[in-house]
Amino acid sequence: MSDEEHHFESKADAGASKTFPQQAGTIRKNGYIVIKGRACKVVEVSTSKTGKHGHAKCHFVAIDIFNAKKLEDIVPSSHNCDVPHVNRTDYQLIDISEDGFISLLTDNGSTKDDLRLPTDETLLAQIKDGFAEGKDLVVTVMSAMGEEQICALKDVGPK
Amino acid sequence: MPQEEMEAAGSAGEKRDQETLESVRSVVFKPSISLEEKRFTKVAGYDFNQGLDLLGLLDSLSGTGFQASNLGDAIEIVNQMIDWRLSHQSPTEYCGEEVRNPAYRESVGCKIFLGFTSNLVSSGIREIIRFLVQHRMVEVLVTTAGGIEEDLIKCLAPTYRGDFSLPGASLRSKGLNRIGNLLVPNDNYCKFEDWIMPILDQMLTEQTLEQNVIWTPSKVIARLGKEINDENSYLYWAYKNGVSVYCPALTDGSLGDMLYCHSVRNPGLLIDIVQDIRAMNGEAIHVDQRKTGIIILGGGLPKHHICNANMFRNGADYAVYINTAQEFDGSDSGAQPDEAISWGKIKGSAKTTKVHCDASIAFPLLVAATFAKKFHKKANTNTVC
Repeated sequence: MSDEEHHFESKADAGASKTFPQQAGTIRKNGYIVIKGRACKVVEVSTSKTGKHGHAKCHFVAIDIFNAKKLEDIVPSSHNCDVPHVNRTDYQLIDISEDGFISLLTDNGSTKDDLRLPTDETLLAQIKDGFAEGKDLVVTVMSAMGEEQICALKDVGPK
Repeated sequence: MPQEEMEAAGSAGEKRDQETLESVRSVVFKPSISLEEKRFTKVAGYDFNQGLDLLGLLDSLSGTGFQASNLGDAIEIVNQMIDWRLSHQSPTEYCGEEVRNPAYRESVGCKIFLGFTSNLVSSGIREIIRFLVQHRMVEVLVTTAGGIEEDLIKCLAPTYRGDFSLPGASLRSKGLNRIGNLLVPNDNYCKFEDWIMPILDQMLTEQTLEQNVIWTPSKVIARLGKEINDENSYLYWAYKNGVSVYCPALTDGSLGDMLYCHSVRNPGLLIDIVQDIRAMNGEAIHVDQRKTGIIILGGGLPKHHICNANMFRNGADYAVYINTAQEFDGSDSGAQPDEAISWGKIKGSAKTTKVHCDASIAFPLLVAATFAKKFHKKANTNTVC
């Protein structure tokens, strides 16, 4: 099996690797795995022992962490898979621009403006409404494989 | 009792006994018609006082009785398949000049289809098949997926003798797969996987990049025969000698497992069975004036697929079945040649026989008395020039 090529995007953390290798047989449910270049969370693993189909295999069913698509892969259990580094960072929400970009306050005081509004409808509604009402919002940004997306929202203002 | 009465009673009893004896005799010793020795062969087996003579032993089969006689008949029929030439029949009214040419007619022989089940390729019959294909003695092969992969796998790692009685659970824990009284270690299939995956990747590339490549089971098989590149493999010789191998159920074996796993990792490979049924039926249809002969080992798909193709030319001219299946359950596997005649898959005038025997015994004997015998006779009479 050939290793997948890693396309390093020219984003902020140029030095760190996006993935690390892990033996397929050790990846469990709720772990992360890269399938067809997408960072995914494993929802199902089944293994078939060595037999007529060749080496023992792990059958993964996983959900893309960014677009929620279901992806599958079958990997010989002794082979290495790529596991994505998944980071979560909290930022304070400053502004929402008219064309759908978000302005966030980073730790060192500067702004991060390259993120779009999330596509998930519930989250989108929460952000828009909360911002419109003038609430103090903190968003959690999930990043993996050079891609980022808002995955959660917290109201930190006074109750 | 007075003397006279006793004598009278005695003779009456004697007469009754005589009558009884006569009626029994007429039933038990029913006079038989005499069998003309021209039409009926005398039964006689091989005389080992003659020594150990293989060809003599094979010649004696016809007269031995039971399935040995059927095998003797099969030998006779296959020899007819091999010997038939277009020159044996007169040209049709409308055929062209080239087809009338006696030298051409002498060169045109019977087209022989060979079908066999996968277990035979797991067994040593694979070597017999390889001999036939190596010397292009048969033109079309039909088998099931195992018949393909077991031949390739044997080039990577061997199959071993085991026993029918080895307990399944114990074998599973040791990673041994049982085929009858043969054993194939799991490791063999791992080697097969490692060998075939890059080839499937390459085939997918050829399909998507070179727009003309539409894979069919027979094309896949030819490619695998080319890639294995081992003279022990019958598929290698099939590729080399242009012998078509058809396997419409290519997915029903380890090959299918490999295609499945490959398609998850690297999807898109398409295998067209419609193109292959065109080709297979074409093998029987486009034969002009040639006769066709079918030799089928075992039942199942290979048996039916070959018979069905021959239906398109209103039936094969020669048919030999070697299998252990029975007809009482109405299965196609157990059906005798006469059933195929009712479908038009074998001609009513065809020479046919079924040998009720495990092909692992009957087929080497059949080949010895037919193909191999002629091959070695020809080799001995060939002059060096």
